[in-house]
Amino acid sequence: MNKKMSISFESPSFIKRLKGMLGVDFYRLFHTPLFYIFLIIAGIIPALVSMGFSTTDPVTGQITGSTLENIWIMIAAKEPLYVVSDIAEYANMNMVFIFGGIMVSIFIGHDYKSGYVKQLFTTHAKKQDYTLSKSISCAFAIVCMCITYLIGTVVAGIFLQASFEVNVGSLIIAILSKMIMSLGWASLYTFLNIIFRRYFGISIASSFFFGTGILIIGAAAILGNSSILNIFLYGSSVYACLSSNILTLIVCIVNSVGWFIFYNIVGTYVLNKSDVY
Amino acid sequence: MDKNYAIEINGLTKSFKGMYALNGLNMHVPVGAIYGFIGENGSGKSTTEKLICGLLVPDNGEIKLFGKDYSDPGVRVRVGALIENAGCFPGSSVWTNLMMQAINLGIENPNEEIERVLKIVRMEESKQIKFKSCSLGMKQRIGIAMALLGDPALLILDEPINGLDTDGMRIMREILVDITKNYGCTVLISSHILGELEKIATHYGIIRQGKMIMEISSEEMDSRCRVFISLKTKDMDQALDILKKKFNKVKEENGYLKVYDVDEVELIVGYLMRHGHVVSEIVKNKIGLEEYYIEIMSNKGGEINE
Repeated sequence: MNKKMSISFESPSFIKRLKGMLGVDFYRLFHTPLFYIFLIIAGIIPALVSMGFSTTDPVTGQITGSTLENIWIMIAAKEPLYVVSDIAEYANMNMVFIFGGIMVSIFIGHDYKSGYVKQLFTTHAKKQDYTLSKSISCAFAIVCMCITYLIGTVVAGIFLQASFEVNVGSLIIAILSKMIMSLGWASLYTFLNIIFRRYFGISIASSFFFGTGILIIGAAAILGNSSILNIFLYGSSVYACLSSNILTLIVCIVNSVGWFIFYNIVGTYVLNKSDVY
Repeated sequence: MDKNYAIEINGLTKSFKGMYALNGLNMHVPVGAIYGFIGENGSGKSTTEKLICGLLVPDNGEIKLFGKDYSDPGVRVRVGALIENAGCFPGSSVWTNLMMQAINLGIENPNEEIERVLKIVRMEESKQIKFKSCSLGMKQRIGIAMALLGDPALLILDEPINGLDTDGMRIMREILVDITKNYGCTVLISSHILGELEKIATHYGIIRQGKMIMEISSEEMDSRCRVFISLKTKDMDQALDILKKKFNKVKEENGYLKVYDVDEVELIVGYLMRHGHVVSEIVKNKIGLEEYYIEIMSNKGGEINE
């Protein structure tokens, strides 16, 4: 015993650390059923919702069309409507953020439930690695859910023989903007799951609560359709609509990245100052 | 600061809701040691280990690993830990769980590395089994394998032999000795099974109520563990009185007369024979770690040594 060993300690760079943590998260994402289940859910949602707008032949019972004037309403509202008056104005791609929140809660919750988080925090002294990695990997998962939602919408539109007429440029910007918003949403959910890491049920409930945008909808009921609501994640997500232009894209990028930075700083601070396991 | 310490802790304090789990703990684990960390339930062993791993935030004090602050990413990436359980995803296979940790550590050839650690823990044949299907012994070994990935300089093992059968304990013991001998790893191991710990530990730390009451090498422990001779005669009561006249510590226990701190059997046999007592049975013994630990813990007067 007591053999003198020359042990060298090479400090891994930020990129190497993040690469390691992201590697685990993406490996987990692709090697467990959770991600695929939520992709399917995201693909089915537009089909289920649009079925509610279908019209049927009273004699044969066959679907004859849809009361949706345009299938792209399933992707985004025509105008940025923060005040919701009926479900058609609400039921669009923003719903992915609600389901995305639940997925993020389960994904992060399992880190704690299984105890795997001990391995992550033992070998990663910098807590920011964790918050950054979760935010980025979960944003990727939500973007993928947006894509399957889009596919589900198109398939449902074809099936319901709905109108596909749209300003293509605005549609692309709206979809892109919503995808960009995934980063901000994923950061919010990561933060919520860090706060409620010991309470799996509360994590899911809080993600669902914030994902619905109920607070912004409530604020909009008082303020009206005010563009000031765009500073919030839900506000910008609504702002990405079928009348979007390049300004919409810029607003969404600034908003999403801004919240991403904010939630990562606060999340890292919370992890640094509290017991993680 | 002594750079030959793998772990050096000074004045470590940690409280939970006003209750002190650690109260000014000092600890010194030499590089290359198998450090047996002993204490009663709730004495602060797991808390100490979690603090070293960065899972808890200390109230006060200093933790150094290999002479560097414990928050140094370069040091921490060389720490392997098995705290409470293996920390694996139950629905994933052994291989998938190990692969995740290998990716986490940025290991260049993860497949080879996983094969290597599975061989060390003797689980090459079980890599495709789902973690939840593994026995307790297998789970503990997977936890060790996980901790061994990426050439750790320090292994922190919290009760790794708990719940293992005799064969499982033997395998675990051989693995730990192999790790320190062949891989130059320092091991901090907490356990209640002192008999097993005694077979492998090179150093001991005894903790009570959040304070280190003794740190000692196995050689020192060996010299402190007292020798005693137990014997039987026809008239035990009379023999006890006779022995008490010559030897300092003699007592009757479990049907035997025990004479402490005497090494020579002939001396006692001759002495009793001169006083007309024939010894019918005599055995030379040594107090083990367990008895020594009980003796220390029964001394509730406070710190013995620091």
